[in-house]
Amino acid sequence: MTARETVTVVVAADGTVSARTDGVHGPGCLDHIAVLEDLLDATTVSSAYTADIHRARTRVDATEVVPDVDRH
Amino acid sequence: MSVSLILVPAALAAAAVIQARAGGTTCTVSTRMRDSGLLAAALRETGAVVTDATDRIDALWAGVTAAFTRDAEGVWAAHFRGGVDEERAVEIVRRLDVAYGRKVQAAVVERLRNRAPAAGLRLESETVTDDAAVRMVFAVERRRG
Repeated sequence: MTARETVTVVVAADGTVSARTDGVHGPGCLDHIAVLEDLLDATTVSSAYTADIHRARTRVDATEVVPDVDRH
Repeated sequence: MSVSLILVPAALAAAAVIQARAGGTTCTVSTRMRDSGLLAAALRETGAVVTDATDRIDALWAGVTAAFTRDAEGVWAAHFRGGVDEERAVEIVRRLDVAYGRKVQAAVVERLRNRAPAAGLRLESETVTDDAAVRMVFAVERRRG
């Protein structure tokens, strides 16, 4: 059975954003990072990858996905 | 496998600290704000009368005036003149920062609502948490090619 893929985004009152993907297998989670960067016009300044061989589901935690809403 | 990310905002300057420095009759307070439109809106939310130009925004509260200018990184700094000490200037900018954060939050949520469907994400739920954050859950309908 294929896990349902979801992306959860939490936009804090101070404008910072955290995001998480669930149900994404393997390198597919990287696609969602790119999607979030595009959606938020955010720039990744650092990232860390951790292998978790005991879990079928891949989970991506994104901290401080900071939005680019600068229009000028 | 998990991935953690830190992304730098254009609207929110990374590693920004609200701090004041006094010089002559001016007290300058640094900010984390970069978006002029959101800054002007936040200023109005704090009750300021705002005059904005391309690279300068003037704000007038009761008895307090401040001129906002950009630094080389595009981050706005507030220059207070007159009877405002450093403590008061920082307090004003902290209140402004709270208002600015809410403007950024609203802009991000609106952007997600509008742009997520084109990215193959269907909004399933949107809730406001106890700490006033907006939590949005999207179902992945398709991957980008």
